[in-house]
Amino acid sequence: MKDSLLPSITRKLLLCSVVFLTWSAVAEAGVSRGFNHLLDAVVRIDVREESFESGARRFSAGIGSGVIVSADGLILTNAHVASPRSVELSVTLASLERVNATLVGWDHWTDLALLRIDLAEVKRRGLTFTHADFANSDKLSPGQSVYAVGTPHGLTRTVTRGIISNNRRYFADNRGVKGYETGLFNTWLQTDAAINPGNSGGPLVDEKGRVVGINSRGYLGADNLAFAIPANIAKRVVAGLTAEGAITRSYVGIVPGALLDLEGFYALKQNTGLLINSVDPGSPAAKVGLRGGDIVLSINGTPVDGRFPEQLPPILNIIASLPVGSSVKLVVKRGEQTNTSVVVTEKLESRQGEEWAFEKWGLTVRKVSRAYARENQLDDDTGLLVIGVQPGFPAAVAGVGRGDIITKINRERVASLELAKTMHAAFVAKPAPTLLETETDRRVSLYILKP
Amino acid sequence: MIKTLRLFLLPLTVSLLACAVARAADLPALFAERAKSVVAVEFFTESELDRRPSITAAFVADVDGTLVLPRAAINTFLPPSKLKDFRVYLPGRPVSDYAQGEYLGQDPVSGWHFVRVEAKLRASLVPVTAFTPASSASEPAIGEEFWGIGLRGKDEDFKPYFMAGRVSHLQQMPERTVVAQTEIAAPGLPVFSRDGVFAGVAVGGFGQSFIQYSRNERGQSVMLVNPEESSVFQIAADVTPWLTRIPASPSGRPIAWLGVYGLQPMDPEVATFLKLDQQSGCVVSEVLEGSPAEVAGVKNRDIILALDGQPLPRFKPDRVVVGFVDRDISMRKPGETVTLTVLRGSERLELKSTLVEQPKLLREADRTYFERIGFTAREFVYGDGIMRRVKLAGRKGVIANFVKNNSPAGTAGLQPEDWIQEVDGTEVKTYAEAVAKLAAIEADTARNEFVLLTSRNGETSVLRVKLK
Repeated sequence: MKDSLLPSITRKLLLCSVVFLTWSAVAEAGVSRGFNHLLDAVVRIDVREESFESGARRFSAGIGSGVIVSADGLILTNAHVASPRSVELSVTLASLERVNATLVGWDHWTDLALLRIDLAEVKRRGLTFTHADFANSDKLSPGQSVYAVGTPHGLTRTVTRGIISNNRRYFADNRGVKGYETGLFNTWLQTDAAINPGNSGGPLVDEKGRVVGINSRGYLGADNLAFAIPANIAKRVVAGLTAEGAITRSYVGIVPGALLDLEGFYALKQNTGLLINSVDPGSPAAKVGLRGGDIVLSINGTPVDGRFPEQLPPILNIIASLPVGSSVKLVVKRGEQTNTSVVVTEKLESRQGEEWAFEKWGLTVRKVSRAYARENQLDDDTGLLVIGVQPGFPAAVAGVGRGDIITKINRERVASLELAKTMHAAFVAKPAPTLLETETDRRVSLYILKP
Repeated sequence: MIKTLRLFLLPLTVSLLACAVARAADLPALFAERAKSVVAVEFFTESELDRRPSITAAFVADVDGTLVLPRAAINTFLPPSKLKDFRVYLPGRPVSDYAQGEYLGQDPVSGWHFVRVEAKLRASLVPVTAFTPASSASEPAIGEEFWGIGLRGKDEDFKPYFMAGRVSHLQQMPERTVVAQTEIAAPGLPVFSRDGVFAGVAVGGFGQSFIQYSRNERGQSVMLVNPEESSVFQIAADVTPWLTRIPASPSGRPIAWLGVYGLQPMDPEVATFLKLDQQSGCVVSEVLEGSPAEVAGVKNRDIILALDGQPLPRFKPDRVVVGFVDRDISMRKPGETVTLTVLRGSERLELKSTLVEQPKLLREADRTYFERIGFTAREFVYGDGIMRRVKLAGRKGVIANFVKNNSPAGTAGLQPEDWIQEVDGTEVKTYAEAVAKLAAIEADTARNEFVLLTSRNGETSVLRVKLK
């Protein structure tokens, strides 16, 4: 008993000191009206979401942060907090009242999601909230003080302080947001304000309490290296998600590389050109014959300069922001020659397809996407990638395993998830042996799912 | 320790009776005589930076000093020209007293490697065929005892030792294969009946499952493989015909090629579903471009049911049928015709295919090491195209076969198996073209840097190689 007393005292001291710091941080912010106003707009988000990794639909819970950005209750948070996988979203207001919310849309490329608070409930219960204002994040300068507000490790309403460490950080991650790509089209704000799990989706604010960014992630295994999405990008995403529920981007299939000191080799003028490191097979860029090693000099007449990694996202964004199906004029240098290519953009798709559980088969799958098919050199996007099997269920008994791609069910090509759902429904209604054709590492196998 | 103790039981007397079937002879005498049909073989694998020795057991196939080394003794991807200095040691004789051997190549059917030992040693060797009875031996029976020979390490002069075990069960894989209760011989060495009749050749690669407990971990399943002793052997009746399959050249050619990729067994449930009853079959995952199978009209996902009208036999486990088809094709010669019965959808088709010589293999690919740049360029061969899913028309450039650590190429980020498509911004179509360009760069001491366009996992990247 005596032993346990000491740690509990220490813990209290620790808690006190955290509270003290929180208070002093706010004090230094001048306890401005703006800052207090902001605090009233920050919410805690509790999420219950489904996952499909284990051969069945399973549910898990998580905690994140968010900030109310409009009078009608739009809440901005991270895409890795709230996503189409979320089945239950509840929001805790500054008044410590809990309200339900629904997903308006998400954009994993910028790791942002937009929720709408249940206004009817707010009205019925007579609750109030304020909404935060955005600052111009382009005007931030390294060294400037910023504050992060959120729910780290479930500690509601925590404020931490830091500075802008870098205002144009390049950081792309192909599986960063629940397996989805992120960071290709935006740069990030880097800060040393403490960002911990649960801070995600909370605002990064200036001394006046204006939102300069949305806290997103910390660098694993490092101290004080955290990243936030700049407010100016968040503003555009909010507008897009509000209008259409999704951000549509254009795609041509160019994977750029930073030119660094290769200008001399390619005989380029200073500060010109975007090096194409790779071209996705079968993409619009590949169709017009572009390939790795080519240098893009201009896009639709605008000269481009991709010398450093942080210069790449804005260039990619030029193409991404065009309407799908636009013609893009690229002036490309290959060796001594300079040619003009016209590329017609496609809709940008994630490599991550829709997931589903076929409960009676004990099988969870992810639709093969066009990008996944290209990446894995599959003939086309036919098929469902097996992401989980449940031991003892028909799929596992037959020998189907994770990583197999189901290409045919009862000799019918699985062009869509819908077809498989129909087949599964038929199996549930009237169980009968079902023939699966799978492909793994280019090896074709046949399996029978037995009731 | 037990094995060492057994060695002391060996008598020093050597039976002069080379009687093939010595009914009454005692085991020590049989052992001493049959130990003359085994040797230890050492050879060196030459790489860009060093020479590495390997040691394997081998047995004597004939009176001309032909030795048989097991499949796993030599990496199939290695060019025979990199295998140097074969040394043949007699078991129990001082290791300073060895004979030279010559590598003859690998047989595509058995997978065996053949080596011929120089004449001076041949008189001391007895081929395993000397222990074959006039009439064909019956199949090993359950519980019957067999024995074989193991070899100690080089530091013990490869001294032979005795192992024995009873037949536990017999299986077709597709060769008839005996699994004994205990280790019975070194992998690749012959196994004999109680009477000293040549009964088969031990094969390695079989493991046993165990659960490992430790202080911190709960039971963890592990598989243990004994690389020096095996309890499994292929029976003599099935492997004796291979003894004469000595390759005409170290390349192992001629090698017949059908060109079907990724054969997968059809499981019995599937056969029933497809109303094929008890029929066995093999799914063709992919028909390779330009192959005899493609010419014959075989399509991806066809199910092979019969070869030359003979239905594929049913094996347990199912996957053995793949080995059966592979073996059947490899037993044939280029130019021979094989009729495939395939199931496509619900249609049964007879397709006639004329086998051709296998395209250039990885081990036959040309290579050049560029010491200053720090990597080896290897010719792009047919198999590289399959691995990278490149059509015949798109084949170009060279493969980085080896990259030296901290060399200019290594520092630039080049990795083994990277596909080099361009050198200094221009496409290299052929191996000769690539080598000429790289050799010019290698020789040009004034050069500071050059650029490679490489491809890895279907994604290209530009590498800048700094020479200074």
